[in-house]
Amino acid sequence: MSAPKKTEAAVRPRRFRIHGLSDAREYMKTGHLATLGEFFVLYEATNQDLPRSTVVSRMETVLEAMRQSVSQGLAHANTTRSGMIDAGAARMDRFLAEGGSLLGTGFSTVVRNTLAVAENNACMGCIVAAPTAGASGVLPGAYLTVADNFQIPQSRIVQGLFVAGGIGECIALQASLSGSQHGCQAENGSASAMTAAALVSLFTDDPDAIESAAAFALKSVLGLVCDPVAGLVEVPCIKRNVMAAVNAVASAEMALAGIRTVIPFDEVVQAMGRIGRDMPVSLKETSLGGLAATPAGLHIAEAFRKNAGLDQDA
Amino acid sequence: MAIFDVMGPIMIGPSSSHTAGAAKIGYLARRVYGKPVQHVRITLYNSFAETGRGHGTHMALLAGILGLHVDDARIRHSFALAREQGATVTFEEVLDPEKHPNTAVITFTDAGDRHPFVVEGISVGGGAVKIVGINGTRVDFSGKHNLLLVAYADVPGMMGIIGDRLAERGVNIAYAQISRDRNTRAAMAIMKLDQPCPDAVAAELKADHHVTDVVTIPRLGVEYERTEED
Repeated sequence: MSAPKKTEAAVRPRRFRIHGLSDAREYMKTGHLATLGEFFVLYEATNQDLPRSTVVSRMETVLEAMRQSVSQGLAHANTTRSGMIDAGAARMDRFLAEGGSLLGTGFSTVVRNTLAVAENNACMGCIVAAPTAGASGVLPGAYLTVADNFQIPQSRIVQGLFVAGGIGECIALQASLSGSQHGCQAENGSASAMTAAALVSLFTDDPDAIESAAAFALKSVLGLVCDPVAGLVEVPCIKRNVMAAVNAVASAEMALAGIRTVIPFDEVVQAMGRIGRDMPVSLKETSLGGLAATPAGLHIAEAFRKNAGLDQDA
Repeated sequence: MAIFDVMGPIMIGPSSSHTAGAAKIGYLARRVYGKPVQHVRITLYNSFAETGRGHGTHMALLAGILGLHVDDARIRHSFALAREQGATVTFEEVLDPEKHPNTAVITFTDAGDRHPFVVEGISVGGGAVKIVGINGTRVDFSGKHNLLLVAYADVPGMMGIIGDRLAERGVNIAYAQISRDRNTRAAMAIMKLDQPCPDAVAAELKADHHVTDVVTIPRLGVEYERTEED
């Protein structure tokens, strides 16, 4: 990007109105902002009428809650009353410790930590719904694992979370982040795009690279349906968190290698919205189709309806 | 939307609408009721009734009623917590196509009261909720503003009195709603305020002989802040 000209006053509107990422990038240029993360800090502070320091410290709280969600999910074997979750993160942890990794420990750690958070969510642990509770494993699982591997300083990690939030905002503005609106592409797909963009932002400020990573991640999951067995956030949601996490890492690596998206991110988002609207209701969080309607899925749903009590402790 | 709507809320899983939203409805209902809970009946409608068990909706509603926030790890132990506090709870599950998919009706009863106290709330997505009924009166508020609720006998001039009391202490009204029940002549004013309602205003209004009840609720904290439009 071009260096700021000293004679030209930076543009600071009273309120930022954006329709997507291209508007955000335009504001970045006219406002002489060096990074997309910094733009979204300013966007939030301005539009919510909050001091910059409040916005940043609130994101630090989000980061801390994400870290807690990983350690809580790894603290013990997670099981759910439906029987569908049976210590996935704990098994992955053992596999990792025993040297079973097929692609190195970093990859397996991403898988393990994503499982840990998604399982923690299913087991009524504390998570950050980023962008939703059902996709809460992706950012902590992929983004925090990579950031910690590279010992990235906390302030830069927080900036990256603003990039992630900004990408999510651009999706919300043009389509939706909700599975009941657009299927899983809108939940785990959005989480994957947010994570890919945040990952790239740790290593370069180049907005072309960040946009491309987000676009790669979302393009690859277009059409993904939301078909939870028994209406629970367990199967297939938790493994789809893992898919979204590793997809984010792959997308980030491609963007960092200099590969650029052919379709602009905003157009990918609009395509996602159109696909979501074309999707039948049975595949949008109603548990009437897909995996939820398989014999095995229906059997689990029936057994759960009969046996589930109201009180988890009882 | 806002960045922190995307990056949040920080909440107990597994579902923003069925767990976090349920806890928030319970929390607001208790704030409106304003007394220790002796007995509460919680009626879950539609999707809350059908998938609530798998999402901890019952536990979350009760947790909110006991004052827990959406990110409180004790949500899953709310039944035990209610027992410790000597509160009894019963549940009902109802399918009613007239109601919003995620509706809860919370009925508080107290041996010392002649009538039960009923609060109805809906979970509208992403953890955002609305309270839509209080003792049969239609209302519409979330936790986004500082609130002043005044129940009174429907007589002319009540809005003026409330406005004057607030103005005397420099409190600005952002939104106001009034509604009334034609049969009972009971009316309710809901004031959404830029500042929290001072205790003195609540006390003065309570002293008015047309006023039957005054409730103030400060806006909910960060974990409850959703920027849906009221």
